[in-house]
Amino acid sequence: MTVIPSKAPESPRRKLDQRRSTPLTIVMLAVLAYFLLPLFWLAIASTKNTGDLFSTFGLWFSDAPQLLTNVKDTFARDDGVFARWLLNTAIYAGVSALGAAMLAAAAGYGFAKFRFRGSGAWFNLVLGAIMVPTTALAIPTYLLFAKVGLVNTPWAVILPSLISPFGLYLMRIYAQDAVDDSLIEAARLDGAGELRIFTTIALRLLAPGLVTVVLFTLVATWNNYFLPLIMLNDPNLYPVTVGLSSWAAQALNGGAGANSDMLGLVMTGSLLSILPLIVAFLMLQRYWQSGLAAGGVKQ
Amino acid sequence: MTATTAMQAPLGDAESVRQRKRGTRRISPGPMFVAPFLVLFLLLFLAPLGYAAYISLFQQRLIGGTTFVGLDNYLTAVKDPLVIHGVLRVARFFVIQVPIMLLLSLLFALALDSGLLRFAKFVRLGIFVPYAVPSVVASLMWGYLYGPDYGPFAQLARGLDLPTPPFLSEGWMLGSLANIVSWEFVGYNMILLFAALRAIPHDLYEAAAVDGAGAWRIAWSIKIPTLRPALMLTLVFSVIGSFQLFNEPQLLNRIAPNVIDSAYTPNYYAYTLAFTGQQVNYAAAVSFLLGLVIVIVSYAVLLTANRRSAL
Amino acid sequence: MNTFFASPPTTRRRLLAGVAGVVSLSLLAACSGSGGTDSAAPAKSTTVSQADIDKAMATPTELTFWTWVPDIAQEVALFEKKYPAIKVKVVNAGQGAPHYTKLRTALTANTGTPDVAQMEFQYIPTFTLTDSLVDLAPYGAAALKDKFVDWTWGQVSGSKGQVWAIPQDTGPMGMLYRQDIFDKYGIAPPKTWDEFAEASRKLHKADPSVYMTNLAANEAAAYHGLLWQAGAKPFATTSKSDVTIDVADEASKKVATYWGGLAKEGVISTDPDFTDGWYAGLNKGKYATWITAAWGPVFLSGLAKSTSGKWRAAPLPQWDASAPASGNWGGSTSAVIKGTKNPIAAAQFAQFLNSDPESAKLFATKQFFFPATKELLADPSYVGLEPEFFGGQKVNQVFADINSTVSPTFAWPPFLDKVTADWIETVGKSLADKTDTAASLDQLQSRLTTYAKAQGFTVQTP
Repeated sequence: MTVIPSKAPESPRRKLDQRRSTPLTIVMLAVLAYFLLPLFWLAIASTKNTGDLFSTFGLWFSDAPQLLTNVKDTFARDDGVFARWLLNTAIYAGVSALGAAMLAAAAGYGFAKFRFRGSGAWFNLVLGAIMVPTTALAIPTYLLFAKVGLVNTPWAVILPSLISPFGLYLMRIYAQDAVDDSLIEAARLDGAGELRIFTTIALRLLAPGLVTVVLFTLVATWNNYFLPLIMLNDPNLYPVTVGLSSWAAQALNGGAGANSDMLGLVMTGSLLSILPLIVAFLMLQRYWQSGLAAGGVKQ
Repeated sequence: MTATTAMQAPLGDAESVRQRKRGTRRISPGPMFVAPFLVLFLLLFLAPLGYAAYISLFQQRLIGGTTFVGLDNYLTAVKDPLVIHGVLRVARFFVIQVPIMLLLSLLFALALDSGLLRFAKFVRLGIFVPYAVPSVVASLMWGYLYGPDYGPFAQLARGLDLPTPPFLSEGWMLGSLANIVSWEFVGYNMILLFAALRAIPHDLYEAAAVDGAGAWRIAWSIKIPTLRPALMLTLVFSVIGSFQLFNEPQLLNRIAPNVIDSAYTPNYYAYTLAFTGQQVNYAAAVSFLLGLVIVIVSYAVLLTANRRSAL
Repeated sequence: MNTFFASPPTTRRRLLAGVAGVVSLSLLAACSGSGGTDSAAPAKSTTVSQADIDKAMATPTELTFWTWVPDIAQEVALFEKKYPAIKVKVVNAGQGAPHYTKLRTALTANTGTPDVAQMEFQYIPTFTLTDSLVDLAPYGAAALKDKFVDWTWGQVSGSKGQVWAIPQDTGPMGMLYRQDIFDKYGIAPPKTWDEFAEASRKLHKADPSVYMTNLAANEAAAYHGLLWQAGAKPFATTSKSDVTIDVADEASKKVATYWGGLAKEGVISTDPDFTDGWYAGLNKGKYATWITAAWGPVFLSGLAKSTSGKWRAAPLPQWDASAPASGNWGGSTSAVIKGTKNPIAAAQFAQFLNSDPESAKLFATKQFFFPATKELLADPSYVGLEPEFFGGQKVNQVFADINSTVSPTFAWPPFLDKVTADWIETVGKSLADKTDTAASLDQLQSRLTTYAKAQGFTVQTP
């Protein structure tokens, strides 16, 4: 049975929709408040100057909120390197997400629709490989990359992010469910080549799942910290996570060169760096649900 | 079942028959599609992994250079009390945190799907957003919230004349970590489950409603069983996540450096070995050992869960 | 006037001629002039001749300089003005640990290393162990000895007369205290550690929400500064593979017992420093003093603005009032990294940056570094500053006086990261948990000895 997920049709639900439960709403809003509490703190902290950060109550504004000033300072600092960081992050995350989705889609389709020698073994190898923690392996990875001259280039960050085992898992299941074999057969009989079938028929059906992988890889690469930290030396190449942490180090550690004024910028910068992701979620929400549905229901 | 497999299996062969008839011989399509992914996987993942495995067979000393030691590093790791305690600690963490987190994710997903909720879209986004917060930022946030002097909970407790909750004490640390991890991932898992719920055909609900089933009954008898595969997915990734715990202890290490020591979790231990102790070889061995533990636990968990569902 | 760099007329003419003449060669040189690659500098046991130096300084070169000092472009510009053929690319590769990690990995991979790098005093032995620093003595550095404060020169010198780095700034330790809190509770600034202990008890008894000071249980560097003051000599490297580890000697035990005792009594706090809670504590008067280094005053004025005017500076309380001593916390140098393709230019840059009077003065006035040069420490325009944050006290003078009491013979271990991490888990932990700090020293001793032996060192223990 093929389950092509779609948005829930409204009519059968209207009967249930009409009775909204106020107690449940209140409980969930309280839950929401808890989840947003740390972010609320961040938003408040971004409106304060450094002096007020530690002398006023954390969860409410100071007497002289200066969000706009902080935002301006964040972008002006170090010759506008913050904007550069945001741009870098957008490029790394965007390219990685799109690339990862395409690779996962092709591979998922390949694993789902074709049987070939070793396909099971390969598939399990991919899933098994992510079980080895790569934190301490960053140094061997660095040495290997250094040998081929990839270090301190954007590729050092983008290339590893193009592999998404979660994306592969999802796309395989999705291809099994959403792409009907009969469609493929029909296209074959018409004389279409495999690649043509994939790009014109399968991809269209896989679109919702594709967007899901794009979204999840986008978040993962956007927040990627450890890999870029090791691979990149030039601050102009930093993504915003590494950049902010370098500012934080300047603000928070002792020793000469410490500049506690940076702390306010770190707060504001952090807030600004989350906003694009929220926007991305809101825009891609529709596809998002559909894509994940297949991954969940079928095994 | 055999009918469908019979249909699917010869696809490749039918194609090659057709090719031979046409006189051309192309690459088998299956491998063609998976090749780009696998090639990159090989180069960027397996190659470093292989190299790391290779260096785990050596020992590099500050004085005396590199020597081949075979499996010595692994034997040491297996007996290393820091590794053993670390593994037990993350196992404890997994057993406590993951069921709670998945239960919450499930409950929230059901609540969102039930249609009984106002502002559902807003709630959905809000619970998810923590997943998008980079841990660099999270450490600042939680440092404040858990603060024993000026944190809001501390101040609230003082205002109510209650003792300050010792979030960063040794006894509470695992719980405080579990809180942060749940905060980060409940939304992620919730969305996964919610989307799976959205795919359930609604005539099922209609039929049940006609039979007189209320929202709770529907949830229990229809929704949850259908969610089993989705729950398996979240469970496996939670196993991996818990046993590889690194970001959150590192984040709290800044604020509670004497509770979170450098071997708090096995992954953190590997990191410290490599970056602080210059013991890259041993660190690699510890990492692989941890990977092995995770493979074992994952399969054990899946087997248990599948057996349970067969009953 | 800096006589070392004054170029005689003939050289100047040669310099101009050289610049004019090598336009075609500059393209070739520029290609090969960037960052460190495989060709190591030839080992020079004899001094590099002035002629070679002049030639190198006239050859178009690009140097890569890794530093986290903010706004260092100004000082670099001074160098580039003097040697127009040399361009310096400043890269901020991280502050502290990430910087050293990247340096190490680049050295291991043998590619991407900078020509010159910032190196804090305490890290020098860690990098000389792996032969990662270029000896600057053949390049004229030995002549700079008298420009710098004695103990800083001791820190950068090798046992065979090598000069591993040029001091840039320092952090002699002193005590910043809240005059208003002292006045409120009738406490006089303590001159000895005994007086300090008494004051701590008195203060905490009068107001349990205030602590005399905070000894951060994760700040190994500050603690080692105190060991330095007490005359402890925990580490010594007698040869490449011989290391002496003696962290439980008499002086160390004295310091440990003292602070462990105060922590146990609960009259000092042991909160981790540079955290949200710690900053708030400084702002809200939780800590009556901050035992810190000479860069502390500027740092404090930035993040405790609400307490402006209430702080004062004083020397550290003493173990022996008749023999004032202090230690050092922080401070950096500039070192030339092995593998540089331009050792002469790099060496000249490191030397110029930190010893040229104008450059050194900029460090003091623009970045607020505490100087390492004797000249600046005697400069009235620097030491005569009367910041309002400290109620008009001549803070720099206080620290300048302290500077001369820092012992020149304190040595760091060749594996600093490990020592720091282990310190936090033994001594630091005992302070935080209020257990026997003197006993924790034995733990630390055994951990470090085991590590050193496993790493192939021959460990001498007392």
